[in-house]
Amino acid sequence: MGVRAGRRVSRSAVLAMVLVAGTAGCGQLSGREDAASAVVNRFEQDAARGDGAAMCAALAPGTREELEDQEESDCEQAVTGLGLPDGGTLRRVDVFGQQARAVLQGDTVFLSAFPGGWKVTAAGCEPRPGMPYRCDLKGD
Amino acid sequence: MSAATRFLRNDSLTLAFGTAFLLALVGQAAAGRADLNNQLVAAGLQPLGVAGYLASSEFAVDVTENWQSEYLQFFLYIFGTVWLLQRGSPESKSLDRAGTESEREQKIGPHATGESPAWARTRGVRLVVYSRSLGLVMALFFLGSWASQSITGWSAYNADQLRDLQAPVAWGQYVLSADFWNRTLQNWQSELLAVASMAILSVYLRQRGSPESKPVGAAHTSTGVEG
Repeated sequence: MGVRAGRRVSRSAVLAMVLVAGTAGCGQLSGREDAASAVVNRFEQDAARGDGAAMCAALAPGTREELEDQEESDCEQAVTGLGLPDGGTLRRVDVFGQQARAVLQGDTVFLSAFPGGWKVTAAGCEPRPGMPYRCDLKGD
Repeated sequence: MSAATRFLRNDSLTLAFGTAFLLALVGQAAAGRADLNNQLVAAGLQPLGVAGYLASSEFAVDVTENWQSEYLQFFLYIFGTVWLLQRGSPESKSLDRAGTESEREQKIGPHATGESPAWARTRGVRLVVYSRSLGLVMALFFLGSWASQSITGWSAYNADQLRDLQAPVAWGQYVLSADFWNRTLQNWQSELLAVASMAILSVYLRQRGSPESKPVGAAHTSTGVEG
């Protein structure tokens, strides 16, 4: 009986591609987690010092823009006026693709990868069962 | 006829479909990247370059979810047609030959010929494995692709979750999730439909010159006949 021969693909090529596909996105995960952790820790230190300029430099462009629109003031003034919670100790970092979440003792921060490194997309976030986090600071 | 011309002629089926496969994969990569980047830009996030997209779980899951279903289709078809029959279909063997057939019919053991593969002339595990090697390899490719889909799909799903400010899930939760089974079953149903359609339509319809069809003048009732 006939088998559709057009579907035959080199077996070794397929196996190699399956293996590559299976590990896609996993490369250098530890280094990316470390980089995201460093950004979050620095952001928390800047927040504790009330350094609005440094905090704004850590924000993703869309988040910064949304903050300024929402608060109707410049970023430095707006971000320090939010009263973000004291994050405390970093408990875990999850990195998937270009996105990351950092769970701290007193806060949760979301990040996204940009050419210059990880940027904060949301902070001051509280979990809600079955729903997105409610965040004091986030993009549109 | 030169060696190159002979190669192109004798292997044209694999070469044509292999080339078409690569072109389609390139097209999928381009369209998939554009689609994902539209979403990223709309969310105020950084779009992915070509290399970044090719290494992404989003691309990998879109590829592997289709591969697993294709290999599942062939695995089921190869194993299923040992016992399952379709009267009048060239996809089925004749109605009195259901099962694994005799050693004589399969040209194995003492009935192997000088041209038979070496493992067809042996006994024991090697013969058992070689007698099922086509289906087993398809099954392995299916399981490998499906496992890969589960991992890359999990990563892509969690990237979406994080983008939407939602908590990521564990792999064990993902393989029980609606996303995983929606991706899986939408591919399975289309492959199973294609097999069922081929089995029954080839009873009544013909394609002159194709080995997938019976000869144009063959009776609708003749089974296991290729054109």
